[in-house]
Amino acid sequence: MRPEILILILGMALVTFLPRFLPMALLSRWVIPEKAKKGLEYFPISILSAIVFPILFFNGEGRMEVQPHYLLSAIPVFIFAWKVRSLWGSVILGMVIYWGLGFVL
Amino acid sequence: MERLRGLGGPYKLMDGREFKDGVKAALPIVLGYLPVGMAFGVLARNAGLTTWEAGSMSLLVYAGASQFIAVEMISKGMVWFPIVLTAFLINLRHLLMSSTLSLYFNGNRIQTLGLLSAQLTDESFAVAMSNTSKIENRPGYLFGLQITSHFAWIMGSVGGALFGGLIDHKSYGIPFALPALFICLLIIQVRKVHHFYIMLVAGIFSLFFKWALPGNWYIILTALLASGIGILINSKVQSSKAKVQNSP
Repeated sequence: MRPEILILILGMALVTFLPRFLPMALLSRWVIPEKAKKGLEYFPISILSAIVFPILFFNGEGRMEVQPHYLLSAIPVFIFAWKVRSLWGSVILGMVIYWGLGFVL
Repeated sequence: MERLRGLGGPYKLMDGREFKDGVKAALPIVLGYLPVGMAFGVLARNAGLTTWEAGSMSLLVYAGASQFIAVEMISKGMVWFPIVLTAFLINLRHLLMSSTLSLYFNGNRIQTLGLLSAQLTDESFAVAMSNTSKIENRPGYLFGLQITSHFAWIMGSVGGALFGGLIDHKSYGIPFALPALFICLLIIQVRKVHHFYIMLVAGIFSLFFKWALPGNWYIILTALLASGIGILINSKVQSSKAKVQNSP
């Protein structure tokens, strides 16, 4: 391996590991006040919303623009996930619809 | 006493059944990681990395978005420092996920926490959060979930670097595998009516912040603001419930 690539990988590994590790290492030693726990309770749903919605309304270059291919695939998956709550099913259904729409759009 | 001797202090890391449960829970992630890992392998080779280098990056860094941006910057001839700084900024969002997970692993040994946190990704975090009763002080479950996902990511990357041209990673609905996974994981978080409002508020915030700000700040800002609003909505719900109960 080329040394400059090794430095790059080790550097990336370090800065990726620290934000993953430090909160878990420190906070699991402390007693967290109930108020703070309430705040943490809404992190998963907020983070997931912030991952999902931009996929539907931003293009690959980061410009805001409705993504019909993604949006039309997403709507049935939202409904299916709501009714069935199956991760496997959602992934397969989403892929099939997206693939099928590719022939139409 | 038996449990105390296990790796990981009072909670055994390697409880076979929990580990297996975790491996099973990872399968939808594997379905998404294999093709996306392959796409990374292909792009890494195109950017001039060897198969060995691409595989090492997937093993040691294991962060999808920053790996893709890294190969993009490598292909533009950038040196290591701006790439590392970008990776740092992109992965700051894990601070929030790691904080949330810490609630479920109070008092575990530092080695256990190190191992678990090293393999934390958006996807494994979201799957872990879809059923928190399974992770509470069960490091074996989370470890099984994460190491399976990580393995798929490495296999995909190496496979893509070696046999890149064989499968078109833009076809067969592959681009929608991870978005579909995230949509279902998001819906699983909507358990009460006020969760639905938090989802909408967070969605609007994320669109605005992504539009208004460079880089990946929108995820952290959205999470902080929408959680704050969530606490407000929740306390409103609680106090109106209390009023109903107190009224004759």
